[in-house]
Amino acid sequence: MVDRESAADIEAAAARWVVRVDRDGDEPGVRAELEAWLAGDRRRRGAYARAEAGWTHLGSASVLALETPEPVPAPLLRRRGVIGGLGLLAASLAAVVVAPRLLAKRYGTALGEIRRVPMADGSVAAINTSSELEISMRPRLRAVRLERGEAWFAVAKDPDRPFVVESGPVRVRAVGTAFSVRKHEAGSDILVTEGVVEVWTDGQAPRRVVAGQRVFADNGVGVQAAPKADDNLARQLAWRDGQIVLDGQTLAEAAAEFNRYNDRKIEVADPRLAGERFVGWFRTNDPEGFAQAAATTFNGQVLTSGESIVLQAG
Amino acid sequence: MEGRARVVAWLGREILPHEAAVRVWLRRSFAAAGDVDDILQETYCRLAALSNIEHIGEPRAYFFQAARSVALEQIRRARVVRIETVSEIEALDLALEDPSAERIVSGRRELERVRGLIAALPDRCRKIFELRKIEGLPQREIARRLGVTENVVENEAVRGLRAILAAMTEQDASAGAKGLREKTDGRSRKRR
Repeated sequence: MVDRESAADIEAAAARWVVRVDRDGDEPGVRAELEAWLAGDRRRRGAYARAEAGWTHLGSASVLALETPEPVPAPLLRRRGVIGGLGLLAASLAAVVVAPRLLAKRYGTALGEIRRVPMADGSVAAINTSSELEISMRPRLRAVRLERGEAWFAVAKDPDRPFVVESGPVRVRAVGTAFSVRKHEAGSDILVTEGVVEVWTDGQAPRRVVAGQRVFADNGVGVQAAPKADDNLARQLAWRDGQIVLDGQTLAEAAAEFNRYNDRKIEVADPRLAGERFVGWFRTNDPEGFAQAAATTFNGQVLTSGESIVLQAG
Repeated sequence: MEGRARVVAWLGREILPHEAAVRVWLRRSFAAAGDVDDILQETYCRLAALSNIEHIGEPRAYFFQAARSVALEQIRRARVVRIETVSEIEALDLALEDPSAERIVSGRRELERVRGLIAALPDRCRKIFELRKIEGLPQREIARRLGVTENVVENEAVRGLRAILAAMTEQDASAGAKGLREKTDGRSRKRR
């Protein structure tokens, strides 16, 4: 018998196969070759499964941090964790058991941070950059107060417990649906991705907004214009995945969008560049990448100095 | 394929994180590290062949058991066995009860760990992993964006995957680092 193939060689080849299948897996030839290779040794099957498992597991990096509810605010909670004595497990169990009884929980995000927070009722909130909100789970009401910033909510169905977001004087009510609220100085933007919500301000009759629509509710006069269909909601909610998707926005608008997420602000110093329109797909925390791509596309140049990224004519 | 994808995801989530512990335990019983790698590959082969994972409540214990039965078979096949090998192998319960072993990996910490592993890769390799794994771009598109050939992307991805697998399973950190610095051929690399 020839030399037995070493485990290390098999391991290396298996990693190569996983990446090759990731690249060209749709080609029947590649699959057939892989099968032939795998058939040669049982250890190859094992190494391949292991490498594939690692590769797949890395994909979970794209999932936003799915957090257990913050076990901070109630001293009660801490005490339980200690009494349980089993550290993490007990703490998380205690959080699950106790959470529904806690009246309010606060969540905040720092500049550039995006958080996904599961709630005790099965709903999920994705909280965008520089935002703050408070969630109260009451027996007859699920109340969220958005103090600043933006959040998207996927609301678990529960007809007996309406889900109401309070954003300044603006109210958004949902039963089982998904929508986002962004709080501005003068009012709030509401985007509905699933189901139906009702939007109102004090004294105003609720307006229905259905999936695929957006509406702006003014703090003073409430909803004025009828809800508009917007087939671009997915793009505008790309922040949930840490992305900014540009589809024909001007560079000035795009820069403002990046500046929501980063300390290093982009400044478009040239008026011609500022009006150019751009299509692209970026990570919220990569303003340099965006500036560089924009400069290359429109013949500009990027000057980086300290906290600012200046886009100017080339 | 559907079923297999589930098993593979399960392997990544529930089994890989315990490989380091299984490895340490096996190494205590088997002098040659080469044997340990063989045993693990055979073990993964068996785990990957599972058609149903729902019944496995304790993946960590299951992993140890599977590795143990593979190891015992190897011992039976070998002609000379050091007596302490068998007793170590029999001492599985001790290994399972190792209090230092991390029994609970929270989702968030695991995510941070995975992100950390990617972040620790050399620059171009890291960029490629981020584009592929975080932004989900296909390799062809990554090559176009970075202005390199698809082969470069493929080689870097292989290199990164191996380094990350080594780091995930905590084989002595230097082996991972060595894998990173090495040229991308890969076939010549021997594990120490």
